[in-house]
Amino acid sequence: MIEYLIIGSGPGGAPIGYYLAKNGADCLILEAGEHLTKDTFPKTEAKSSAQLYWGGGIEFNKTAKMAFLRAKVVGGTSIVNQCLLDRFDDIAWNDWKADSGVDYFNKEEMTPYYEKVEELIDLYTFKPEERNGNAKIFTETCDKLGYGWKYLTRGQNDCGREQGNDCIGCLGGCQRDSKQSTLATYIQKGIKDYGLKIQANTYVEKIEHKGDHTVVYAASNGKQEIFKAKNLILAGGAFGTTELLYKSGFKDKFPALGKYFSSHPQFMSFGLQEEPVLAHKGYFQTAASHDDNFRAQGFKLENVYAPPISTAMLFGFSGKDHQNAMKKYPYYNCMEVAIRDENIGEIKVTKKGKLVVDKPLTKQDEERRDKGLKVIDNILTTSGAKEIIASPFYFGLHLMGGCVMGVDEKKSVVAPDFKLHGYDNIYVADSSIFPNAPGINPSFTIMALSEKLNEQLN
Amino acid sequence: MKSAYFSNRALKAFNRMGDVLLPKNGQFPSFSEFGGIEHIDDLVQYAPKGDIKDLNLLMTILSFMPTFVIRWLVNKMQNAGNMGNGGVGTLFRMLNFGIRGLIFSCYYTENAGSTYQGERPIDLVGYDVKRV
Repeated sequence: MIEYLIIGSGPGGAPIGYYLAKNGADCLILEAGEHLTKDTFPKTEAKSSAQLYWGGGIEFNKTAKMAFLRAKVVGGTSIVNQCLLDRFDDIAWNDWKADSGVDYFNKEEMTPYYEKVEELIDLYTFKPEERNGNAKIFTETCDKLGYGWKYLTRGQNDCGREQGNDCIGCLGGCQRDSKQSTLATYIQKGIKDYGLKIQANTYVEKIEHKGDHTVVYAASNGKQEIFKAKNLILAGGAFGTTELLYKSGFKDKFPALGKYFSSHPQFMSFGLQEEPVLAHKGYFQTAASHDDNFRAQGFKLENVYAPPISTAMLFGFSGKDHQNAMKKYPYYNCMEVAIRDENIGEIKVTKKGKLVVDKPLTKQDEERRDKGLKVIDNILTTSGAKEIIASPFYFGLHLMGGCVMGVDEKKSVVAPDFKLHGYDNIYVADSSIFPNAPGINPSFTIMALSEKLNEQLN
Repeated sequence: MKSAYFSNRALKAFNRMGDVLLPKNGQFPSFSEFGGIEHIDDLVQYAPKGDIKDLNLLMTILSFMPTFVIRWLVNKMQNAGNMGNGGVGTLFRMLNFGIRGLIFSCYYTENAGSTYQGERPIDLVGYDVKRV
C-alpha cells in the first residue's frame, strides 16, 4: 500500500511529489509518457510532435475544427510550453470566486503560494536588447499604435543566448535544462535530493475507491499493474483526470464531471516583410500585449512563431504557392490572438471508451477572436507587411475544466480542499479544477494551487 | 522501402498525394523525390494504433484511384474548414490534419530519403536553428 500515489508529473503533480518526498512520505508519481531528459529529447520537429504528444501529435474537438496539443512525457505540458509564468490578476480571481464560491480565490491569499513556487523555479523578465526581429516589430508597432505591451516573465536560468542558442528548439524539450519545466526543477531535484520515485510509461485506466484506500489499475510497458494507495492525487490535466474519473464510473456521482471546459483558443497570423525578420532566431518569445482595453474585450496578443512543419500546416494551402510562401520563412513576423473563451465545452467518454471533446466557439468567442484579429491586422499592416496570411486553423493549448472546483456539489466535482466532493482520500491538483478561463497562462497558477494543497498534505 | 505500419500500396499513395501537395518546384524537390516517406515509421509509432490502421486502409484504397481523385480529395480536405459540423466535414478536416501533417512532417525535416542528393526543403526555407 502506497501512502500517496500521484497520477501525472506536470505542473500539478510534480510540486506535490517533490514536497511529499522531501518530507519523507511514501510517495510515487505515475506518468503515461516517457521519462526523457535534456540529452534524450527528440532533436527534430517531426519527431518532437510525434513523440511528446498524446495522439501522436494532435487531438481534435468533436467537429475537428479545433485542435488540442497535450503533452505526454515526464514533466507534462511544462516540457513543450514556453514556461511563461504570469500570476492571475484581480479580474481572473474575482471571476473564479464568483463561479465557484471558493473564498481563497483572491490575489492576497494566493500570493504566498506563487512565492513558494518561486523558491524552486527561476523567473526571468526579458530586456529590450533581447528582443529578436519578430519582437522588435511587435513592440515598436504597438508603441506606434498606442497598444500596451510588456516584456514576458519566463521560467529559465541559462538559455545560452550569448553562444547563439535559438530557443525555438525548446518547444520539443529544452536541451539545456534552462527552461524551468517541472522535470528540470521539482522532478530532477526531488529524485536527486529526496529520492522521489517516478514510474514512466504507466497509463492509469481506472480507479476503484474502497473507503480507506483506492485501487489503481494501470497499463505499464504492455503489462497490467495494480496499485493500492491510501491517498490518491489526480494530476493528469483536464483531459486525463476527467477521462479517468469518467471511465471509473464517477459521472453518476458528479453531474458536473466533464463540464465547464475552456481552452484559450489561439489564432495565428503571419506578415510578410521586405527584410528578413528571423523570427525563429534567438529568444523565441519575449513580449506580449498588456493592454487593459484588450483584457476588457477578452483577448490578448502573443508574439510567437513556429518551426517549419507547423508553419506549413498553419498556412493551410499547398502546391507551388505553398512552397513559394515557405521559401520566405525568414521574412515573416507572426503573432496570435488568444481569447478568453466561455467555459461551455464538455469532455466526455463514449461507451467504447473514446475521449470526445465538445468544444464549439460561442458567439462571444467569435466576437473576441474577430476583435483580436482586427488588431493583429492593424499591427501587421502598420509594420509594413506586404502580405498577410491568417491561418484557417486554431488551437487550444490551455486545457482547463472538466472537474471544476466549487462549493456546490451539483455544479462542481472538487471541493475547496482539493478533495472530490464526499471523498476523504482522493484529491485533484491540475487545470481540470479551473472554474473558468482566466485569460492568463495557467501554468504558474496550477503550481501555486498545488503548493496550497502541499500545505494541507504536509 | 518497407513499413511496419503501411502497405506498399499505401506508401505509393502517400507519394502520389505528397506530389500533389508538394510538387517539384525550382530547387524544391517533389515529395516523392525527397524520399522522407522512408522515415514515416519513426513518426507513426507513437500514434494510436487504430488510427494508423484506418489510415493504412484509406491510403491503400486511394492507391487504386486515378490522380484526379487524389486531387479532388486534397481540394476537399483543404477547403473543409467551413463545411458543416459532423459527418463528411469532420472527416475531411481530420484527414487534412492527419495526412497533410504526415506529409509535411516527412518533407520539412532533416531526414531525406536514402537516394536523395539535393538540398533539403528545411534548408531551402532557411531554418538555420542553432542548439547549443
